[in-house]
Amino acid sequence: MASSDTKVVARGLLPPIVVTPTDVIDLRREVEALDEFMHQTSLRRGGQAMSIPKLSHSLEEVVKLNNLNLLNTTDRQQLLTFLKELKDSAPVVHISFAADPSSAFMAKIIGWFRENAHPQALIQIGLQPSIAAGCMVRTENKVFDFSLRKRFEEKRQILMDKLNESFKS
Amino acid sequence: MVGNTITIWWIVPIIASLLLSAAAFIWMAVRLGGGKKKGKNKNGSVEDAAEKDVEHIFNDDFREELRNRGRLHFEKIIGENAMFLQQDLRLTTSQLNDYMKDEITKKLQEEFKKYEESITDAKQMAIDSIEKTNAAVDEQRQTLSQQLKSQTNEQKARLIKEFENNMADIINHYVLSAIGKQIDLSDQLEYILSDLEANKQAIVEDMQSGV
Repeated sequence: MASSDTKVVARGLLPPIVVTPTDVIDLRREVEALDEFMHQTSLRRGGQAMSIPKLSHSLEEVVKLNNLNLLNTTDRQQLLTFLKELKDSAPVVHISFAADPSSAFMAKIIGWFRENAHPQALIQIGLQPSIAAGCMVRTENKVFDFSLRKRFEEKRQILMDKLNESFKS
Repeated sequence: MVGNTITIWWIVPIIASLLLSAAAFIWMAVRLGGGKKKGKNKNGSVEDAAEKDVEHIFNDDFREELRNRGRLHFEKIIGENAMFLQQDLRLTTSQLNDYMKDEITKKLQEEFKKYEESITDAKQMAIDSIEKTNAAVDEQRQTLSQQLKSQTNEQKARLIKEFENNMADIINHYVLSAIGKQIDLSDQLEYILSDLEANKQAIVEDMQSGV
């Protein structure tokens, strides 16, 4: 059981709701708090009331996707290890939009990256209103400009031809 | 000038005749008075007799008559000469006035002529200066006009070039200002995904190399 769980976590499935490195840090902090709670629970005396802290939706999704049992110490430790490795070594892509994207929008974007590039890819979202439309993607060594401004620059000759035609007419 | 010379030649004999009359009168008076004293000093009865005859002929009445006649004659001559002198003076004054008038007029005309020439020269100089200034101003204006035209063309070319270079930014800014708030990010999802798909290989390779 432990070996199978380890394999699951090692594959590192992440739900679309977990997008940014900050989400990973929050998850890790939450798991650590849960682990501390469990540790305190194991030390409690009989007859004392206890209440399990409510898990966040992101953590529930991660646990569900990876078939983990957070009551199990080994699973918690594996999850913590996974989140730590994820924070340290997961590929992070910086994407800037003109406006703050919705969760559904980001779910589709992160889905594309995890499907095509890396299953544990994370996205750092930035805001850049000057790009008007589209986005700017920055990976480790490259910058991909998918903004409207870049489109205009690429199609500048067409615009120039149209302007010249209008001036001539 | 000729009239002035004539006047002087008239005055000279008048004054000379006046002086001669006065000298004759004085000489006669001195002679009559002096002869009486000299007669006393000389001896002889002839002299006394002559003196008596003379005194008989030139008695006091006769002397008084002569004096009166001389006085009247002198006064007459003085009056006539004074009248002549007055006339001559008037004539001289009139001629002098005319002469002065002519001289002053002549001088004034000469001065006016010089002044007019000076004015004409100054006017010509001013006209030349103004013409030179106008020529310089025209030249300067032409140079400035050419410079301004050149700079305007350069500025125009620079603006056009700058517009062409930054046209994408300008249009982007215009679009952003015009419909920036109407652009929904969700509507762009397909385009963004297609862009990602078009650059998939480069993105994946760079991410894999980073990992």
